[in-house]
Amino acid sequence: MTITWEQVLAFLCEDQTMAITSLLFLAFFAAVALINYALPRVLRPYFLLAASYGFFCYDPVNRPLVWVIAAATVLTWLCGLIIGKVRAKPVRVLALAASVGFGIGILVYYKYWNLLADTVGGSILSHRENLLAPLGLSYFTFAAMSYTIDVYKRRCRVETNLLHYALFVSFFPTLINGPIERYPQMRPQIQKSRRFSYGRCAGGAFRMLWGYTKKMVLADNLSHYVSLVYGDVGSMSGPNLVAATVLFAVQLYMDFSGCCDIALGAARILGYDLIENFQSPFEARTFNDFWRRWHISMTSWFRDYVYFSLGGSRCAPWRHYLNIVIVFVCSGLWHGADWRYLAWGLFTGLLAAFGVMTARARQRINRYNPLYRMGWFKVFWQCLFTNALFCLTLVFFASAIYNTDPFAVYGSLLQGWDGLTGSWAQVSNLIYSSGIDGRLPVVLLFGCFVVFAAEHKGRSVARWIRQQVWPLRWTLYYGMAAAILFFAAFGQSAFIYQQY
Amino acid sequence: MAKSPTPIPAPPVKIHRGAPGSAPARQRRRRKKVNPFVLFLRGLARRLYFGIKTAFKFLLFVPVLVFMVAFSYNVDRSGLFQGALAPRRIVDLMLQGYDVTNFEQMDEREVVQLFAQDVPETPEAIGIGSSRVLQFNRENTGVESFFNMGVTGADVRDNMTSYYKMVTYGKAPKVLLWSIDPWVFYGSEAAFDARADADLYNEFLTKVLNVPTDYEEPDKVELWKALADPAYFQGNVDYYIKNRGQATVTDDEGNTIEFNPVEGDPYNQTTSIKRSDGSVLYDVAFRNQTEDQIRTLAAEACMSFNSVHMEGFDELSQTQIQAFDSFVRYAQSQGTTVILVLSPWHPYLYGYLLTEPENHKGFFQVENWLRQYCADNNVPIYGSYDPACIEGLQETDFFDGLHCGGTGIARFFPGIPQALSDLQNGTLANPLDVHPRTSLEDPNAQPAEGETPDGEVTQQEG
Repeated sequence: MTITWEQVLAFLCEDQTMAITSLLFLAFFAAVALINYALPRVLRPYFLLAASYGFFCYDPVNRPLVWVIAAATVLTWLCGLIIGKVRAKPVRVLALAASVGFGIGILVYYKYWNLLADTVGGSILSHRENLLAPLGLSYFTFAAMSYTIDVYKRRCRVETNLLHYALFVSFFPTLINGPIERYPQMRPQIQKSRRFSYGRCAGGAFRMLWGYTKKMVLADNLSHYVSLVYGDVGSMSGPNLVAATVLFAVQLYMDFSGCCDIALGAARILGYDLIENFQSPFEARTFNDFWRRWHISMTSWFRDYVYFSLGGSRCAPWRHYLNIVIVFVCSGLWHGADWRYLAWGLFTGLLAAFGVMTARARQRINRYNPLYRMGWFKVFWQCLFTNALFCLTLVFFASAIYNTDPFAVYGSLLQGWDGLTGSWAQVSNLIYSSGIDGRLPVVLLFGCFVVFAAEHKGRSVARWIRQQVWPLRWTLYYGMAAAILFFAAFGQSAFIYQQY
Repeated sequence: MAKSPTPIPAPPVKIHRGAPGSAPARQRRRRKKVNPFVLFLRGLARRLYFGIKTAFKFLLFVPVLVFMVAFSYNVDRSGLFQGALAPRRIVDLMLQGYDVTNFEQMDEREVVQLFAQDVPETPEAIGIGSSRVLQFNRENTGVESFFNMGVTGADVRDNMTSYYKMVTYGKAPKVLLWSIDPWVFYGSEAAFDARADADLYNEFLTKVLNVPTDYEEPDKVELWKALADPAYFQGNVDYYIKNRGQATVTDDEGNTIEFNPVEGDPYNQTTSIKRSDGSVLYDVAFRNQTEDQIRTLAAEACMSFNSVHMEGFDELSQTQIQAFDSFVRYAQSQGTTVILVLSPWHPYLYGYLLTEPENHKGFFQVENWLRQYCADNNVPIYGSYDPACIEGLQETDFFDGLHCGGTGIARFFPGIPQALSDLQNGTLANPLDVHPRTSLEDPNAQPAEGETPDGEVTQQEG
């Protein structure tokens, strides 16, 4: 049997989209990495820019929308140039307003137009069918806006090279799920490309493999059960809803952080260090601490550009609490045009504000709590409570994703409990019938344990793996490859955060 | 102006402790300008070194992929490479020496193809033909490694492709026992069986006999994709774990595959079974019918005789004759000795055919043409369509109108070793000495070729 290159290409390209978990993406990435290092260093950013636009345009749906990312790039770059070079404040403010206005404008247009049209109505705001947002809209607009704001605030020098800046906006590993990059972090890396480092590449490849394992083995398999429960909330008992909500939190983490691992690993191989997006969030001991560890690039963006602009904590207490709520409401809106995201943001914001409000009082009370004298218990309880709060807020989030009524979930959480054994039987039976059977439950349990242990205290697995002796290293490599081969759920390539 | 006795103090010098100024500034070494060509070579070497190192590390993952592909290929739950699961089970059992139950439900063509693929050692002799060859077995052929590749309703395409499959797998047998059915020489679509593998036959014609057909090399990318598909691998793992060590095997959809080793005496089964040598052993009731019952079946077959691939068969097709000749030569070129066998029809049925020779013109031409061909080409031929040409043949040697049993075969076929010996020694009977009847005796007519003047036909001895 002879297989031609045309057949191989046809096989790779049979999908219209380049999903990050597809063989096509891996082939594309391998080719880009190879060419990148074969080129002189000065040419690499330009090649990566071309590759990023190639990645963006591969999906036919995105091709007509390439102007959005190009316009966002050119406009914010020009605004940055004006802000940086012109001294007259009104002009600088105007340029900043134009840049931020354009960024928010396209976000609103692509994400909220139909919601506004359906809500407000009228001849101008008519509903638009097939209004699809370009790939990575939320990520590249936020990255572009951050640049002009940083230039305005003198935190970043003006970039005169449009192509360098364009690479920052459209760098393909960050296009799908972020992280939302900042230009001061990326600039030196773009201006002076790193030499090839085997250690960096090996670490990056491991991180990608780590991300694929988290996404395809853990997240995608957990989603079978979660989608089963959230797909039919009305007939689900309390134990199943609680279990599904908790497992959704784990699924969301594995999915989102897995994709970030792939992005960070890919960027690392290409010679770029991106912002870490997670730092062991489930080890947080307060709700606010949790949000300092979860989706760091987004929360820090809102902190730096919204929260601080509103006055942050240096204002009256009520205003401080309001600022917190506003930030989380904005975060909810960022996720999409759905009232459940808004409710999630509001609920989370209120909890965070309440946490800040009661922080001192709780600290005082804690001193008199005899159980807290046992350090391990204190840590355990605080982590448990924090994660329980997070899961409680996630009901809105999960309901938005699975299009169900969050209040129906909340209403049923306490119903149908049948003792510990009976409730466990309900959950385990449904888990088995969802397709998580055979050896899979053990694999998922063990896999989650390994992930949480390896990422304990925000450890970077890419660096950690390079410090291990080769037998352990290669055991892990083969273990993960085997886990993907035997247990990954293939054909479920979409990431949850890809839609935002 | 008078010269001052004291010199003018020198301006204070700032002392930089530990700073570069405290010590005499070292001359910065100018970087030696490197030849651009050397620079290029250095870059190239660096890239090559790291490229090879990285590629080598990635190659260490190749065993994982090889395992995936090998596992998928061997388990193959959808039968993409190893054939469908049920035929595979049958062939596996036969190769282990078991007789297999449930013959009527078998996809015989698939079994034959899989046998050709899976048999570890080339059989010394194989039999091809329709169900009329299926009574040839290891006992009556006298060859221990005989395998019967006949299939029910076989047409010329089945015959040829069965042998061709063996050749393509490098397992060309020494002897090919071909039970020739008359429709092999009929060129009409009616002579073809819908179950035959037309693509394989076209491949055979195109590739081997150089006969132009609409054959196209199949697109095997789909198969290749399945091998590279981890989801298919996972399905195979599930299937393997589910069926490993199980007495009953299930198919891809979980249905039980009802092909199992025969338990007890194979000659005392209530259903037909496939023997491990490929022959068929009919159920005990069918095998032990009375003469009247057999004749009744033969009578029933009279009216439907032509419907078995011979509707409108008035003359031999020149194309089929050429194909037949080419095939025999092809087999001989592969080192295979071709032995032809003409399995007789039930006397009642043959007698009936003689009453309406106009309706069976093609049929009555076949045997004489074949005998002439064998005489011209020194090809051994045994048996005759005309039961009267076989000495001692009884009606009870048949199962029905079409199928002659083992006892009947023993009356005209001496076994493969004897046939080969006769061929080698030049002691083969002259094929033209046998004269099958082609019409009812007409006292006024001249005796037909092969008939004695007193109306008796020359009989062949076993």
